[in-house]
Amino acid sequence: MTTGLDVANLSLVDAADAVRNGEVSAVALLEACLANLDAHEDAVNATIWVDRESAFAAANAADAKRAAGGPLGPLHGLPLAHKDMYYQAGRLSSCGSAIRKDFVPDYSATVIDRLSAAGAYAFAGLNMAEFAQNGTGHNHHYGDCRNPWNLPYITGGSSSGSGAAVASRFTFAALGSDTGGSIRLPAAANGVTGIKPTQTRVSRYGVMPLSFSADNVGPLARTAGDCARIMSVIAGHDPRDPTSADMPVPDYEAELNGDLRGVRIGVPTTYFFDDVDAPVRDAVEAAASVLAGRGATVVRLPLPLMDAVAAYVAVVSRAEAATIHSQWMRQHPQDFATHISGRMFPGYAIPATYYVEALSRRGPILKAFATEVFTQVDLLVTPTIRICLPTLAATDIDNGPPGTEHLALGISTNTRPFNYLGLPTASVPCGFDPNGLPIGLQISGRPFAEAAVLHAADAYQRDTDWHTRRPSIMTA
Amino acid sequence: MPEMPDEAALELEFDVFARRAGLEIPDDRKPALFAGFKDLRRMLALMRQPRTAADEPAGTFSILSVTRAL
Repeated sequence: MTTGLDVANLSLVDAADAVRNGEVSAVALLEACLANLDAHEDAVNATIWVDRESAFAAANAADAKRAAGGPLGPLHGLPLAHKDMYYQAGRLSSCGSAIRKDFVPDYSATVIDRLSAAGAYAFAGLNMAEFAQNGTGHNHHYGDCRNPWNLPYITGGSSSGSGAAVASRFTFAALGSDTGGSIRLPAAANGVTGIKPTQTRVSRYGVMPLSFSADNVGPLARTAGDCARIMSVIAGHDPRDPTSADMPVPDYEAELNGDLRGVRIGVPTTYFFDDVDAPVRDAVEAAASVLAGRGATVVRLPLPLMDAVAAYVAVVSRAEAATIHSQWMRQHPQDFATHISGRMFPGYAIPATYYVEALSRRGPILKAFATEVFTQVDLLVTPTIRICLPTLAATDIDNGPPGTEHLALGISTNTRPFNYLGLPTASVPCGFDPNGLPIGLQISGRPFAEAAVLHAADAYQRDTDWHTRRPSIMTA
Repeated sequence: MPEMPDEAALELEFDVFARRAGLEIPDDRKPALFAGFKDLRRMLALMRQPRTAADEPAGTFSILSVTRAL
């Protein structure tokens, strides 16, 4: 039986298979994750709460069930932790805010129920941007989440704790949410793999809303295979979320075979590489070559209307966020961090005609994208973040000099367009910058083509080892 | 709406929007919120594009209908 701290270094798929085969116990997995948490949480600050008692009860129950002959789900006995905005009946869901610091819902999110039905259990609520509203990972109520690869630097947000906890081996995977990049940014910044599914692919029932037109639920984990397994569990129509798509869910894992022959990979010649930092550009170009080595054809092409797309999604998400938060903004304005207020306030200044304009353009632009882009290529690869990661201090809007907000808001320049288009998009680690911080490769596909996106991500990871490396705090 | 007014006109507009939304903005937060407001005005200038038949309701596609068309 595998023992010791190394079991926390297993991928989610390997850990689940090890439990299933009796090579490791669920309790041993939990102990390994908690050992890493105890060793590094003070430095990283990835959690808001940890429930050890119920975690050990769940792990012991998982081991007992296996001993009794099952049946065992695909995530049996796995300790997971999620962004602290997934409702779990009877448990705190702070949403990273002061306003909801005591909020305990009496029902659970559908995705939490589905993960539980697959055998996993949640043992911690993870740090996040206040109400999921920044791309850097700053949180003035629970403390900023720090990057385990280089602590003064940002983790990306808003699922900051999800990225940092997966990278630090506190958990095998974590749910994040993505309205403008909030899964992909922390995946990129922490050197892990994450996927924002197609808009409406995964139920949002019981998940804190930010923008109903742009919100997405998805996983962050070590590998594309890990994400595939979780997606197979959580994707699919939910009668409790009428907006969720009623489309068949493939076995995402079964489609991972490393063969990219016949796949056309698009590298945009517009927008996504504007003012890109050289180490980022070089890493993404090298990644395209790796994909070509697996049989893919690389095609360079311009993309239509990208500047407008970035503006449209900002207008939609800000108007909707302002609507959702309007009562709290009136009653508790002092309870929001200043940079959160500053991001939300413009939503009140958006005329209805502009909001409707932004929404009504979505279909035609998506159609144009489908006919002009996805007739030429099957997937797009771009940098997840255009620049080498900045420090927390350099992006602290509330305490920085004027202009700090431009650097902070610019983090999501390459991720936001895919929320407006609703396209499935993953981020996989593809290198390191001169400060030892990870670089992310963004892979996007047609609507509901999560399988193709994960297939390419997995193929890339078969020839690279960026995703297996451990952060410097763990190797020092 | 898309063109950027001067700073004084923008501040007036900002105050009107805050009042209309029922918000009391503390003085120490006003600079940050005003910066966000100006950023929004910059984006609004990008929004207006020529409208064509594709933008009429019958030409509007949802993500599901686009998927079926692929």
